[in-house]
Amino acid sequence: MTPFGADLDAFWSGLVTGSDGISTIERFPVDDLRVGRGGEIKKLRPLPGARRVGCRATQLLFAAAEDLLARSAISAEPERIAVVLGTALGGVEGLERALAPGGRPRDAVDALYDSPAHALARRLGARGPVMTVGAACAAGATALGTGADLLRADVVDVVIAGGYDALCRFVMRGFDALRSLTRERVRPFDKRRSGLLLGEAAALVLMTREGATPGPRLGRLLGHASASDGSHIAAPDANGRGLELAARTALDEAGLTPADVEFVSAHGTGTLVNDRIEADVLRRVLGRRAAEIPVNSIKASVGHTMGAAAALEAVMCLMAGREGIVPKTLGLEEPDPACELDHVIGAPRAVRPRISLSTSLGFGGCNAALVLEAAAQ
Amino acid sequence: MKGTAVEGVAVLTGWGQGIQALPADASRAAAGRAVIPLARPALEGERFRRATRECLLGVAAVDALLRENHISREAVKGSATALIYVTAGAYGASNHAWVAADTARPAKPDDRPSERRRGAVSGTLHFPYTAPSVMSGEVAIEFGLTGPYGILIGGAAATIDGLWQATLLLEAGRCERALVLAVETFEDCAELYARARWLVRRPLVEAAACVLLTPGALRTRYDAPRAASPLEARVRARAGETLACAPLVALALAREDGATGPIGVTGEWRGRRAGLYWY
Repeated sequence: MTPFGADLDAFWSGLVTGSDGISTIERFPVDDLRVGRGGEIKKLRPLPGARRVGCRATQLLFAAAEDLLARSAISAEPERIAVVLGTALGGVEGLERALAPGGRPRDAVDALYDSPAHALARRLGARGPVMTVGAACAAGATALGTGADLLRADVVDVVIAGGYDALCRFVMRGFDALRSLTRERVRPFDKRRSGLLLGEAAALVLMTREGATPGPRLGRLLGHASASDGSHIAAPDANGRGLELAARTALDEAGLTPADVEFVSAHGTGTLVNDRIEADVLRRVLGRRAAEIPVNSIKASVGHTMGAAAALEAVMCLMAGREGIVPKTLGLEEPDPACELDHVIGAPRAVRPRISLSTSLGFGGCNAALVLEAAAQ
Repeated sequence: MKGTAVEGVAVLTGWGQGIQALPADASRAAAGRAVIPLARPALEGERFRRATRECLLGVAAVDALLRENHISREAVKGSATALIYVTAGAYGASNHAWVAADTARPAKPDDRPSERRRGAVSGTLHFPYTAPSVMSGEVAIEFGLTGPYGILIGGAAATIDGLWQATLLLEAGRCERALVLAVETFEDCAELYARARWLVRRPLVEAAACVLLTPGALRTRYDAPRAASPLEARVRARAGETLACAPLVALALAREDGATGPIGVTGEWRGRRAGLYWY
């Protein structure tokens, strides 16, 4: 569920065609903010069978689950199905409603960050572990990793994992106050980059143990890792030490080396600091091969979707391997020499990456990395 | 595969420091009070001037753990220490203040303190503190923790999940020690909790608790028991409702009982109960 539409096909098609999912925000007031644009989802279909869908975040998750269930059957005992979701905001919009005049008590419960995950578990009939990973904008990656841990430890047979976040005034005001939002277009790794724009999305994957499910699959999660910066609450470590450790550990867990990496999905927010640090880290981790491994960022296309970002990017990595094409970095026209990498610029690139590395960073000094393998074609 | 051991536990609650401060019966001791608050720790340093109370409570809990177990800060610094942070709602206070600030009018000289506070949280430096990850981030900065992290949102069952994650990291050799930290605050959102009585029991007792896990001889089993362990019931009776802190308080009680061998803790949240057993 992205600003491009309500299913995986719309997401992939939007990326490959270079569509721009950024628009003026219409769902809540933004006229007092410096920046009032973002990756807003304009249409949310009414959901069949949902008696009472709570906050918008839950609605996004339910919509993503509709698409997931249309593609994959969940076949396991309810107690052996887990739901693991990453988020930066949970259902915080419920707090805005609860504190408004005439606010309902129920809205305050929606505001608990784990409410949407429990709502999704109820809707799917999952009675195994229900986990909410609150690692800010790296949460989606950690959620997928946690899902893999649950399967590896044989705690469950199926995990619905992913990430979500809904745009709301709460977060728009926050990033506006931080002066992180750009008034121009988002330009990851570009000389003229001037900030990010937020977006909203929900991305879910169905994870099982290798060989447990017949039928087509997108790929495998080979390794995951996280590491704290321990340096600043709202900015990445100046040397990217946490991100480097996460990327190296994820590769190590996958039993791979940088020589095996064929594509990098970067966090690439389009902020001055993030992109330079991330490019430095990727050059250190990938070594001489950094110049020949395609790198992209999709944040100019759909906005920075926070808790959903890493899950969306993981799906994009696997789709790139399946379709034999890597989407370009929208908005990147003149790469910053300080961010020198093999950026996918101007047009999608016709390559079929089997092994991908996906990197994510978040508030609090959170860093996470995933190593993914696309299913053989 | 390696096992794990519980190396130390520290508990701060609205009742005082350590489990010796817990009353025999929390309900009776609360004497009708809905919330038993924890004071803002008096930590020195410019960095803590704007930090929220929940951040400082997390730092204070880890500091207490190190002090009580005679562990130096240097010993936990670096990438060999994992930090797992769990809370059901400690971010509520900063979220509440941030939302309230949006509706605040310009301050007037005769404003009540609560009105003045609204204006004070609308700035650049306050928004990051609305993120649960910033609470553990402050702890990581203070103690120089640069290893793996986990940040789980939920009550006692989520803390069991967090303890399990810590044992996985240790067993896989991804860290040499793991801190599992839980913080819960209620006072700033007391009126909202008062409207959600079906979700939380009384009295709500603010708490911060921390456990240090290290490699050891005991294996673990992680499952979904139907019933509460005796420890879970004891924690509820003695401490009151501490949400995510409850399983860590349970470990502290078990250590007070002299338990060094097999031990099991359980926790429930939103109808799901999880258990972790060292055997």
